[in-house]
Amino acid sequence: MTKDLEHKFISEFQENQNIIHKVCRIYTNNQEAHNDLFQEITIQLWKAYPKFRGDSKLSTWMYRIGLNTAITLYRKSKRSIITQDFDSVLHRIQSTDYDNTEEEQLKVMYKAIHQLSDIDKALIFLYLEDKNYKEISETIGISEVNARVKMNRIKTRLRTILNP
Amino acid sequence: MDELELLKKDWKKQDADYPKLTYQEIYKLIHKKSSSVVKWIFIICIAEFLFWGFINLLIPESYFEIYEKFHLKTLLNTSYILHYAVSIGFIYLFYKNYNAICVIDSTSLLMKKIIKTRKTVNYYVYYNIILSVILSFVVNFVMFSDANLLVEVFNPDNKPIDVDTFFNILLIAQIIGLLVMVGLLWLYYRIVYGILLKKLTKNYKELETLE
Repeated sequence: MTKDLEHKFISEFQENQNIIHKVCRIYTNNQEAHNDLFQEITIQLWKAYPKFRGDSKLSTWMYRIGLNTAITLYRKSKRSIITQDFDSVLHRIQSTDYDNTEEEQLKVMYKAIHQLSDIDKALIFLYLEDKNYKEISETIGISEVNARVKMNRIKTRLRTILNP
Repeated sequence: MDELELLKKDWKKQDADYPKLTYQEIYKLIHKKSSSVVKWIFIICIAEFLFWGFINLLIPESYFEIYEKFHLKTLLNTSYILHYAVSIGFIYLFYKNYNAICVIDSTSLLMKKIIKTRKTVNYYVYYNIILSVILSFVVNFVMFSDANLLVEVFNPDNKPIDVDTFFNILLIAQIIGLLVMVGLLWLYYRIVYGILLKKLTKNYKELETLE
């Protein structure tokens, strides 16, 4: 039974693992921290999986647990890094080629995002993932109105960072 | 183009760049140990229950003989029975709150539940401190009100001593003992909260100011 569940989980996780990478990208700014958070979220997902009923989409469920782990549960640890391959591929991402001004702009944007608070990071993450305000408010547990107000503030803040 | 649109475009582009973990790699991952705050809170809370549960057993047998002389034994035994009943109540509440923690809840609800669990154990510790202070006041009051017996108990060989100095030393020693205990507890909580719950409390406060 456990084996079946494990198999089902791993297959479904494999399909959707990018969600977790993206959460890690928002919340960490180095390789080691990225891998460490990735590992903790994966463990939390697996622990919660037996209770996953399928009444929400698996991806929605993953967003929730991913963000909850990053904001609330995660503590930095000094665990060993997952695998070598994992490292080298992630390393490549950081040097993808953009045209110069865009690249600069994006760099500044990502840097600005890393300076936001954990809650603001969650909001901007869900915005980037094209979630509507209803979903954002349900995931974080604040009212829709407050989610809107907060999001506008973050957007303004990010824009002014680029156009002072 | 708007900067945020640019960001969104870039964000969507990155999908293909992430490494795909293989079945084996994920298998290995899910069998690793979690280092989550909830797990640590659980461990620390259990340790606190054990610590306060066993601390009574550390009182040396000779003390009970002393208490018996002051007719304090019935009082102390009753307080122990009550104490264990209250402790079981606290453990039940802790277990109930801990079980309610659910990682699929919304972020603010999850934080609320973790804080509630932690608070149960905090109240348990406060309860223990208050109980120890009250009991030590009662015991001291009874003992000091029978000065002759007190001197007799602590000075069985009847060595010549200055009774005033003796009382002062006894009192000062107890006050220092109490201060050291409170100081150690304060330090302990600073460390536990500092390390474990700083991030959580900060984020929770931010959410609270939003609502």
